[in-house]
Order: sequence, then structure tokens, then C-alpha cells
Amino acid sequence: MGIVIAVISGKGGVGKTTASANLGLGIAQNDKTCVLVDFDIGQRNLDMILGLENRVVYDMVQVMEEEASVKQALIKSKVSDNLSFLAASQSKDKSILNSEKVEKLINHLRDEFDFVILDAPAGIESGYEHTIEFADAAIVIVNPEVSSIRDADRAIGILDSKSNKVKNGEEVAKYLIINRIVATMVQSGEMLRSEDILEILNIKLLGKVPEDRGVIDASNQGKPVILDKKSIAGQAYTRISGRLCGEKVEMKDIEISDAGLFKKLTGMFK
Amino acid sequence: MQSSQYSVKIYETQIDNEVTFMTFFDANYTLFKDHLIVIQGKMSDKIKSYLDKKSLKYLHNIALPKGRTRKALEEELEFAKIDSAVSQQIAEDKLARLSTQLQNNLTVLDDMIRSGRELNIQGDLLLLNRINSGATVTTSGNLIITKVVEGAIRCHGNFMMLTASPKANIIFHGVEVDNKLLEDRLNRVELKNNEIIITPVLKKEINWA
Repeated sequence: MGIVIAVISGKGGVGKTTASANLGLGIAQNDKTCVLVDFDIGQRNLDMILGLENRVVYDMVQVMEEEASVKQALIKSKVSDNLSFLAASQSKDKSILNSEKVEKLINHLRDEFDFVILDAPAGIESGYEHTIEFADAAIVIVNPEVSSIRDADRAIGILDSKSNKVKNGEEVAKYLIINRIVATMVQSGEMLRSEDILEILNIKLLGKVPEDRGVIDASNQGKPVILDKKSIAGQAYTRISGRLCGEKVEMKDIEISDAGLFKKLTGMFK
Repeated sequence: MQSSQYSVKIYETQIDNEVTFMTFFDANYTLFKDHLIVIQGKMSDKIKSYLDKKSLKYLHNIALPKGRTRKALEEELEFAKIDSAVSQQIAEDKLARLSTQLQNNLTVLDDMIRSGRELNIQGDLLLLNRINSGATVTTSGNLIITKVVEGAIRCHGNFMMLTASPKANIIFHGVEVDNKLLEDRLNRVELKNNEIIITPVLKKEINWA
């Protein structure tokens, strides 16, 4: 039986969907089966980032309404056979979801895949609540700035009070990914340091992703950045996926800028 | 609730002679037109209509808050003690009763108070974790927080104890406490004779009640 992970952030635009796509591929590269579910009903994006927009025939809402079977709606990734994708509906809105149907769908997926990754919508409304309701774990994506941290804090608060696991007296595991870190800005104090973010949110750090210009182009092309072995963000997602699949991967300190490292190296040879 | 705070200049006076008063205000009108005028003692309708005509803002017979130092306050308390040993004894008994009552109502929490959470506690609260930005904690009794506060706290007890929290919004008995006054260790915020007194507590002399 697989594990259900909700990718959440509270605030929009911090990189939930990008992170979901990359983690999905990263898990698939680690020889585990994974399904990505886009829970952002009415604003479907994940299909584009995965480069699968022209393959979408049935969506999640049609599966829940039993107009199509799960098997019909699942789309295999072009890159890896281990990765499948279930699209959100673009025409409906969030009010179409209800707990029983969501539970049924998630339980079905849990039986078939090692990892079920749910890409949550931004905000904390009903769509978000349905995403976290049946999750075993959550990955919280933040940017190193105060508004993102506060919104994430709120989202974690809701997760801790409304998830099904918590209602049964268990705990939902929570992991943090700090996205879009610019080393020079952290060092000059313009961006929050990871230690400060961890102190405020008080959850386990899963990884840090540096800002990378390649991410936008990768999303536009429908080829997640993890496929680009030279990209620093891609490498970060590879490390994070390794950790998710149970490997011991050292935390790389990307907050020390390359310029600093270069100085250190030249210093050594003097 | 929306509220604003203003710092205004106040001119406080007593009226002994109405004619002198009016000539004085005629002569110094430009100086006093932006002042709040407080008149203590008797005030006739004639004066009222005079002030209204001049569109001066005034108040009649109110007690103005006066800033005093801690030392002066302690001296005053000392006098009060000598003045009436009996009432002092009564007050002490009352306080002792109050503190046993408060002890019974103590809530101890180690939760992190995350953004958006509104915590209402009847009685005392000892909180061993942070209050994050966007959260509100209200207590009817005393409040002790050992970690940094970034959200809002509302305390209606006898005292509060908290560390330096530059981002916090602290309201003690309906009055906003300036968080610049909190030093980088435990501070005791208490109400004495209707004034808020903030005392930094040394580590060796923590007195919990």
C-alpha cells in the first residue's frame, strides 16, 4: 500500500506544481511507481508542466462522478513508465468535490501506486481541505520571504486540525521544501535564512531548491527541470526525491554562494 | 474594531474670574486653538458658549492621566502602607486568595500557536512554545510565555511574563504595551494602581506568582 503526500503551500506561486511534477519524476527515476493528481480543480496546470496537455481525455471529476474509470483517466508520462498523471477538471470548480468521493479515489490510487502525490490548490478553502483530508504526509513548499512563511504556517495549522489522520489521533508527517533560494540574497540578509524559517514553522527540512532560470523554460516546454542533469534546481529535486524514497542524501548547503566557494578554493591554493 | 491614537496638547485651568479668562483666551487664541482645553471646577453656560463660538475643543471636570516613575509609585505605596496597615492586610489576603484560585486554573501548553489560530483561555496560561505571526492568544488570567511572540496576545490577568518580542502585538487590560520596553529576557508586565509597570526579571529571582 502506498503513501499519500499532499504538496501544499498556502500562498500561490511559490512552486507547488513545479515541485510536484519534479518530485513525481524523481520518484519514478528511483524505480518506484508514482501518480500525480492535480487537485486544483478549475485551474489545471500540472498537465502542461508535464508536457501532457494534449493527452488529457478524462479528468478527476469525471472519475469521481463515475463517468470514466480510473484506468481510463490515468495518463502515462512520456519520460517514465513509473509515473502516471490524473488531470484536474478545467471546466468545473472546487465545490464539486466531496469527502466520500475523494476518499474512494485516493484509496483506489493508494492500492495501485507506491506514491500518490496530490498537488493542492493555493489558498485554504474547500479544495485545499479535500486535498489534505486523506493525506498521510504533507510537503510544504515555501519561498524565503515572510508572506509565504505566514501562509504556510496557516496551512499547516489547518492540516493539523482538519486532516482525517489527526481526527483519528494520529499525526500527519510534515516536510519542508524551501524553494527559490538565492544564495547571495540570503547572505546579504534580504532573504530569510533556512534556520529562521525552520524555527517559525517547526517541521522537518526535506530540502532546499535554489533559484534557477531554467525552471520557467522547463515548465513552458513541458519537460520538468529534474530531467536536465546540469540544472542546479534539477539536482536539488533529484536529492529530495532520493530522500523521499528512503536514501540517505546529505543536505547540500546551497545558501553558500558559488562566488564564496570560489574564493575559498582560490584561497586554498595561495 | 478600528481605533486611532493621538497625542494632543492639553491646557488645564480653573476659572476664577470669567472676564479674565475670556480676555486671556482672546489674546492667546492662536496659541490655544489646537489645544484640548480642560476646565476643572465650575463652568458656566456663558463660558461654554464662548468656547463653542471660538470653536475650541474642551472637556469639563476630568481626571487626566499623569506619568509617574516607578520610584515615586513605590514611595506612594510605602506611604499607603504606613497609612493603613489594616487595609494592607486585607489587600494581601485578597491577593493570596486570588493566587490560589489562579493556580487551580492553570493551563500548561507546549503547542506551537500557528498563524490563524485563536486561543481563548479561562484562567492562567503557561505556554512553552512560540506564537506565530497571525495567531491570537487571549487569557482571562495571567500569561507566561517562555518563547518569542510574533502574533497578538490579550491578557486580562494580574501579570504577564514574556521575553523580548519586537514583532508582537501585546494588549494588557485593553492597553497596548510598547514592545520596545521589553528586554531580552523574561519581563514581568503588571498592573499597579491602574498603571502598567514593566520589570525585567533576573534569572535568579523568577517569582512565578
